[in-house]
Amino acid sequence: MSETTGKILMLLLTAAWLLPLAGFVVEIYWLRLSHRLHKGAAYCAVGCIGLGFLCSLSALLFWGYQNNWSALTESDHHAHAVAGTAAHASGSDQQSAVKHEEDDDDDEDDGDDDENEGGHTEHAHAHADDADHAHDPHADHAHAAPVRKYATGTYYELARFSGLRVSLDWYIDSLTLVMFVMVTFIATCIHLFAIGYMKDELTEEYEDHEVHLHGGGHFSRPGRFHRFFAYLSLFCFSMLGLVLAGNIFQVFIFWELVGLSSYLLIGFYIERKSASTAANKAFIMNRVGDFGFLIGMMILWTSFGTFQFGDRGEGAHAEAGLFTMVRGHDGKLDVSEDGKQVYLRNAEGERAEKNGVPLTISYVLLVAAGLGVFAGSIGKSAQFPLQTWLPDAMEGPTPVSALVHSATMVAAGVYLAARFYPVFTPEVLLGIAYIGCITLFIAATIAVVVTDIKRVLAYSTISQLGYMMLAIGVSGWGAALFHLVTHAFFKSLMFLCSGSVIAGCHHVQDMNRMGGLRHKMKITAYTMLIGVIAIAGLAIPGTSIGLSGFYSKDAIVASAMAYSELNPGHFLLFITPLVTAGITSFYMFRLWFLTFAGAPRDAEVYEHCHENPRIMTTPLIVLAVLAAGCAWGGEGGPLYRLIVDSETVPAVNRVISVGSSHVTLPSHQGHESDVHHVHATAGILALVSALIGMAMAYLLYVKKAVDPHQIRMQFSSVYDFLVDKWRFDALYEVMFVAPVHVISAWCVDFDRRVLDTILHGAAKVTVIAAKWDRFFDETFVDGVVNLVGNVTYTVGNSLKVVQTGRLRQYVMWIAVGVIALFGALFSAIPK
Amino acid sequence: MDFQALFQQFLHGGVAEQASIFDSVSIFLPELVLSCTIVLMLVARLISLDRLIPTHWFAIFGGMTSFILVLQQFWKLSMNEAVATKIFTGLAVHDEFSIFFRGFLAFFLVFVVALTVLTGIPDDEDAPDFYSLLIGAVIGMMLMASANHLLMLFIGIEMASVPSYALTGFLKGRRQSSEAALKFVVYGAGSAGVMLFGISLLAGLLGTAEFSELALRFDAVFTGRSGMQDPTVRYVVLALLMIAVGFAFKLSLVPFHFWCPDAFHGAPAEVGGFLSIGSKAAAFALLVRLTMSLGGYGSGVHGTNTLNSLSLSCGLGLGILAIATTTFGNLAAYSQQNIKRMLAYSTIAHAGYMLMAVSALLVLQSVQSDAPFQLAHPEGAPRAMEGLLYYLSVYLFMNLGAFSIVALIRNQTFSEEIDDYRGVAQQAPILAICMAICMFSLVGIPPLGGFYGKAFIFASVYEATNVHWFMWLVLGAGGLNTVISLFYYLRVAKTMCIDLRPAGAAEISMPASSSPALYVMLVAGMVVFLGIVINPLSVVARNAAHAFF
Repeated sequence: MSETTGKILMLLLTAAWLLPLAGFVVEIYWLRLSHRLHKGAAYCAVGCIGLGFLCSLSALLFWGYQNNWSALTESDHHAHAVAGTAAHASGSDQQSAVKHEEDDDDDEDDGDDDENEGGHTEHAHAHADDADHAHDPHADHAHAAPVRKYATGTYYELARFSGLRVSLDWYIDSLTLVMFVMVTFIATCIHLFAIGYMKDELTEEYEDHEVHLHGGGHFSRPGRFHRFFAYLSLFCFSMLGLVLAGNIFQVFIFWELVGLSSYLLIGFYIERKSASTAANKAFIMNRVGDFGFLIGMMILWTSFGTFQFGDRGEGAHAEAGLFTMVRGHDGKLDVSEDGKQVYLRNAEGERAEKNGVPLTISYVLLVAAGLGVFAGSIGKSAQFPLQTWLPDAMEGPTPVSALVHSATMVAAGVYLAARFYPVFTPEVLLGIAYIGCITLFIAATIAVVVTDIKRVLAYSTISQLGYMMLAIGVSGWGAALFHLVTHAFFKSLMFLCSGSVIAGCHHVQDMNRMGGLRHKMKITAYTMLIGVIAIAGLAIPGTSIGLSGFYSKDAIVASAMAYSELNPGHFLLFITPLVTAGITSFYMFRLWFLTFAGAPRDAEVYEHCHENPRIMTTPLIVLAVLAAGCAWGGEGGPLYRLIVDSETVPAVNRVISVGSSHVTLPSHQGHESDVHHVHATAGILALVSALIGMAMAYLLYVKKAVDPHQIRMQFSSVYDFLVDKWRFDALYEVMFVAPVHVISAWCVDFDRRVLDTILHGAAKVTVIAAKWDRFFDETFVDGVVNLVGNVTYTVGNSLKVVQTGRLRQYVMWIAVGVIALFGALFSAIPK
Repeated sequence: MDFQALFQQFLHGGVAEQASIFDSVSIFLPELVLSCTIVLMLVARLISLDRLIPTHWFAIFGGMTSFILVLQQFWKLSMNEAVATKIFTGLAVHDEFSIFFRGFLAFFLVFVVALTVLTGIPDDEDAPDFYSLLIGAVIGMMLMASANHLLMLFIGIEMASVPSYALTGFLKGRRQSSEAALKFVVYGAGSAGVMLFGISLLAGLLGTAEFSELALRFDAVFTGRSGMQDPTVRYVVLALLMIAVGFAFKLSLVPFHFWCPDAFHGAPAEVGGFLSIGSKAAAFALLVRLTMSLGGYGSGVHGTNTLNSLSLSCGLGLGILAIATTTFGNLAAYSQQNIKRMLAYSTIAHAGYMLMAVSALLVLQSVQSDAPFQLAHPEGAPRAMEGLLYYLSVYLFMNLGAFSIVALIRNQTFSEEIDDYRGVAQQAPILAICMAICMFSLVGIPPLGGFYGKAFIFASVYEATNVHWFMWLVLGAGGLNTVISLFYYLRVAKTMCIDLRPAGAAEISMPASSSPALYVMLVAGMVVFLGIVINPLSVVARNAAHAFF
């Protein structure tokens, strides 16, 4: 990316980033500008984020225009990074063809088979050459610095501690651009929706029906419409800052700001105990993850001495960023022969040296750093074992849930894991894959039994985030981010739909009291259906035409399958997501059937329910269109190509780990890649699984072939286990909360009995000493001070005598002075 | 050399390091602008233009123009890194040091004129006279700042003094004022006479009156002579002493300070502020230049034994005067009931502090070795001078602030007794707070500007203790005096801020947005600012000091 292009993109994105901050400032002081009942705050917020969207979009278009949309047409986006590019170049033309078309795949499968096996064992193939291979004596480090795919720079340097710069940087590549467009767009829709959803707050007397006072009434307070939008703006500002950040420290700052904004928004109904507890829970759970993040950052700092992502400067003065330091320009980890050290690279991609000694980082430390940073992602993206905060976060207003679950908070975790991908070793990736795998399964099973409409969506979010993490873990980098974007669209859509249902039903959230709502809420029902189909990953069998979720989930399952083929020991990483795809489809359709289909189960709710005004339904329609079509073309389509344009080197090639775990990461690029090879099979399997899930939901909840209650009775223990959310909360209660209570009780005891006694004793002694001190002070010290004061005052007073006011005397003094001084000098100067 | 050649040399400057007459005039432009301002003001009154445009606008405009011209010279000099040039065939000198002081004085002039406008001390009828005198005095001070010749020294001092006498007695109707002016005139005349005698002695002995040649001649005359038995030495000591009396009068050093309390007491507070800052600054500039010249600056001779011992003797002598002055000033300020009298003694004491810097400068200078620019403490002497300049700059704001508040309160209560200041904070908090800031800064309490000024000076005195033990006494006296000065400064602050306003006392009102309040806040704000942001001014001061090193 040329420097000018980078600068222009930076300006546009910075505008998009800072606009919400300006909005925040205006909105938080709204009451000084206008009154509480005015909707201006909302318009201000919408205006800011909308303008931000326009800026982001024009940045994306400008970027595309600058390189003639080469990201979309030119398939071989990694030519710069790969040593032997011939193999890729040959296959590049066909690359643009839609990959999952089964016919094409069949043809090429034959040709790919032997290469795969060969590459496996002998590393004869070009891909294998690129593998991280410590023992390869011909490892070639001297690659010329390639054309950078990103632009980076510094806004402002905050401080410099010897080698370490703490600065505000920016880092822009196609991923940044896509994230910006996605975040600003979805946020705009949600802002618009929220204008309708939050209109109850436009009042001087908001009565909160969930808060019961002792007297029997409800708590009432002034409405907080403007404050809600202020927080939303702050949230967007934080998230955009996180995406634009050019160093890990800055990411951390905005990471915490995102945490803070989510805290404020989840606890928006702060008077409700459940809401304030949920806000605390979200915040504290995130701190647990951040602890790991901090450790990771410290390791990075001590070992690398930089927080920077990308390389800075050109030529001889270039300063290598983290990614280049770890991976060089060829994507290889330069591991020492004993496998214990990793050599760092300089900006040219060669081994970095300091005073003739090569710089290294211990392999274990690199793993630890990766795990630490990923721990932050675990917290933020609600992965196992820190997943329990996300369902509770449903206490916030629904637009917040939509924002948290699609574009901002949880996306931040996945984004960080993806951004940091080059620093992760294969061992770390394996860990990520298993964490994602566990999460996606646990969350999906819980979602099956939940009846609160928002909570179903919450668990589905956790599960989908698990998919993304899994994809990152199995080197499906592009697939993960692909799914992140598509998921953002359909999940925000579904949340807004559920918000629309909740608003229409006057804050009823229990699906058992709904049913048949599609007659009354047509737009909501059918846009929701689009979301459901999208997340379930349904497609028209045989044609490979489906909604966005189909393509992205397909990509993930394919990556997982390729991974488990290369590493048969880790077959669960493929089986679990496959099965879960079915479960996902089941619970999503269950949600839709229970809410919108069938007969009304609660006459009163049905009676009062109504479709919402246009300001709320328009965003639904817009989002529905995008949820359906954003992934158009699948892995040959524009969205995926835009994302993978900034795909990092190790995600492309097959990688064989050098650590103790011996995992092989599948290759991703070109027709001979491992993933491409299994794509068709994986797609079919995932589709079948999803169809089965849908069919079961249909049978159970529409046809009522089997009564769900019966099943519940039969497997009551399993059901209870699931309803209790796998008893995680109870487990944490026993593991962490109870011990802390015990220890704190001990501490209190110790405090009271020992420390307080000492303190009181010390206080008494001090009082006695102070009395003596006072006596001493008043008699002796003050006496001396007063004496000095009196003496000086007397002297000063006596000096007045000299100043007689008589002119004759004064003039005489001149003469006397001269003579006296001369006399003094005469006697003082040596003879 | 025929007349033609002489004339050519006069016009175009044939001698090295000397500017031609044209260059000299262009360098002299700020002073010329001020002179023209005086003429303009007087002409304006003749043709009744002052009815249309108030006279103070002329004064302010002239002062600003002059300041801008000095700034331009400063910029030019710092751009070209030019060396010092002598102008008007060596009568005056043009270097960073003189520019600093000329700028200082022009800047100060603008502030003083603004103050007189706010307090309305000259009425419309008297304004042209008042401002002519004021500007005339400033021109004299600027001449003092760039003087390079014993005659210029005398002319400058007199030119600064004579208008000051008239200014002191400007409130014609008041007996006290006239009496003060009379004392001032007679005392000034006496000391001027002594100084003139000293000048003639020195010039006669050395055969030159140009500063830059003094050291050379001095060295030639005195090599091999020592001790007071030698009559030449005795004469020179006497001559220097007599010149010192002139300075001592200007700086109000003990025992030549008698005029100061009476003059300040009688004069309007605005004039008191002007005299206490402007004439002090100019006198210090001149003192530093003269003593540095005697020590060999600009003469080509460096660090001969004679010159070094002369510097040392001067430094120690000034040190003695500094001790006497600070101690006397502080002690005498104790029991004063009138605030202007108290500030007069405070001025005396501060002259003592600043004299310590000059003393340290000369003592450090006296260990100069033969090689040019090689000092035993290479940074010591410049730092002492930097301290002096910093102190003067802060002193400008803190003393001006104090005097202007005195003037503003006088305008409302018609009293200058400290007792009548009780509880001003309740009625005009801004005045009380700004006064407290100025007082604290005069004591030298961090983080106000006065603290850093004092810290710089004491640091150089401390450095000078390495050269001569006597400086320990100076340092001790400085420290001790700072402590005892707390009492009378804080008495004012306490009276204004803590005491209750007695019933029946005259009302004082000073809304925060009124222009006098803004003026006072600006001045006090600068005191705070210079205590927090030290670097810019100290860099400028260091540059000015480097004119000598």
